Amino acid sequence: MLSIDGLSVSLNGRQLINNVTFTVPKGRITSIIGESGSGKSMTVSAILGLLPVHAQTSGAISLNDKNLVEMSPKDKVELRKMHFFTVFQDAANSFSPSTKMKHQLFIFTGHKQGHSKMEFYQKMRVILQDLDLTDDIMERYPFELSGGMLQRCMLACALYTEPTLLIADEPTSALDMLIQKDFIDLLKKLNDEKGTTILLITHDLDIAASVAHAVVVMKKGEVVETGQVSDVFDKPQHPYTKLLLENHF
Amino acid sequence: MIAKWIGKRVIMGTIVLIVVSFLSFFILHAAPGDPAAAYYGGNLQTLTTAEKERIAQAFGLDKPVLAQYAIWLREAITGNLGYSAKEGRAVSTILLEKLPNTLQLVGITLMILAIISTWFGLLAGMKEGSLLDRGLSIFSIASSAVPSFWLGILLMMIFSVQLGWFPSSGMSDVRGGGGIADRLHHIFLPVAVLVLSHVGIFARFLQDCVKSESKSYYVQVARANGVAEQEIRKNILRNAFIPYVNYVGVTIPSFFGGSIVVESLFGWSGLGQLLVKSVMVKDFPLLMGGVLIIGVVVVVSLFIIDVLMVVINPKLRRGVLRC
Repeated sequence: MLSIDGLSVSLNGRQLINNVTFTVPKGRITSIIGESGSGKSMTVSAILGLLPVHAQTSGAISLNDKNLVEMSPKDKVELRKMHFFTVFQDAANSFSPSTKMKHQLFIFTGHKQGHSKMEFYQKMRVILQDLDLTDDIMERYPFELSGGMLQRCMLACALYTEPTLLIADEPTSALDMLIQKDFIDLLKKLNDEKGTTILLITHDLDIAASVAHAVVVMKKGEVVETGQVSDVFDKPQHPYTKLLLENHF
Repeated sequence: MIAKWIGKRVIMGTIVLIVVSFLSFFILHAAPGDPAAAYYGGNLQTLTTAEKERIAQAFGLDKPVLAQYAIWLREAITGNLGYSAKEGRAVSTILLEKLPNTLQLVGITLMILAIISTWFGLLAGMKEGSLLDRGLSIFSIASSAVPSFWLGILLMMIFSVQLGWFPSSGMSDVRGGGGIADRLHHIFLPVAVLVLSHVGIFARFLQDCVKSESKSYYVQVARANGVAEQEIRKNILRNAFIPYVNYVGVTIPSFFGGSIVVESLFGWSGLGQLLVKSVMVKDFPLLMGGVLIIGVVVVVSLFIIDVLMVVINPKLRRGVLRC
């Protein structure tokens, strides 16, 4: 479904990612793993079309056979609006602090899809209940909710919009251990029940091992190994992957 | 809950007024010269020591400063601010004559300032790197570096002396008129000086707030998720306005300070001009009354800003409802 082929990004003469190639199959969870600075988040920025203005890009990012690299800025906005949903690391700062959650959830979901507020409330209430969130969070401000609740609100938006691809960029890094597990279970459930395709970016190998079907290992802006989670984690081929696993498990 | 919050503000405002009046009273007494001099009229040289002592005794000026302050405060609480040593009229009557003129000057200035600085600040903040963005940064530094009395003289020279478009002094035309148009004609230059002295800094502050808000994490998250740009901007502006309104609030006292210079320069018959004249003749009761009334106006203005902050900042609003 999403295929990245020979993607390279440079900024001010510095190579940030180099010849990155991997695919994200439909209905699967693919995880990009690697240390900080390995190019994981830069790859996400490239997929979302949110690279810095002066960045130079080559290669192809194809979503259902459309090359995103060659798209106009307007088409990229449309793509982010209708086909992608991205959950970021810092849930506590992912929402505007002075606007009630009901309005923010609406602009992240129903407003994008042209739904009326009534339609939005009906659909969102059911989703929030599924995620163990009560109705009254709609009347609250972000500073009145915990990081875990806000991250689930983000996931509620993903459930509402049913994106072609859900990107989760280090979604559990800012959460405590117990909530991390809950969140990962929710991702799994979303994939199992709705068949949502997920690209999970994490530096936590436990999370990748527990939830992903396939894994992409990145080091210094390059992909060093890809494969099914069981293959990569049981029989790593690249020395860097071996080192990562040895240091972790 | 709201009553408790208001109660706290009223108590704090009262404490501020007492501290301001206490400090003013003692600073004025510490100044060189005879505090009773204003009561002597033109007879300073001819009065004997005994006569001077009698005058001081009559007005309680022979008592210790602390006792004098206690008497002044007790009377002020009941609304009696005493009599002007120079004019012989009740201080409260004189202040009530002058107060509307100062409020008019500061009020019109704030309104124009809010409109212009908001407009320029938002536009420049939204268009980072544009000519307007860079121009505003330069203008704000230039305008804040120019002293208001110098700017006042410059505008007076150009628009009054050279072009003859606006009067250089007074509040109304002696040949009649006195209507709104006449008042606006006279207030134009004083307001222009106050606006030009502050507009750059105000707009620059809002510009910085907008720029900083535009780089917020939630803005990046919203853009990454294809949220409509109009909705993102609404949130940027809403959040940028919170520190801006607070900034405007804390600068309000400086407008009354600035108006003293401008009123004196343009002969605008307000509290500022009155205070300057009172200092010249050491009219102690009038001076204390003036300081107190400006203090009250500032405290009330800050209370209004506090209420406004509670309205626009949900964090404060929730705090008020919880307190």
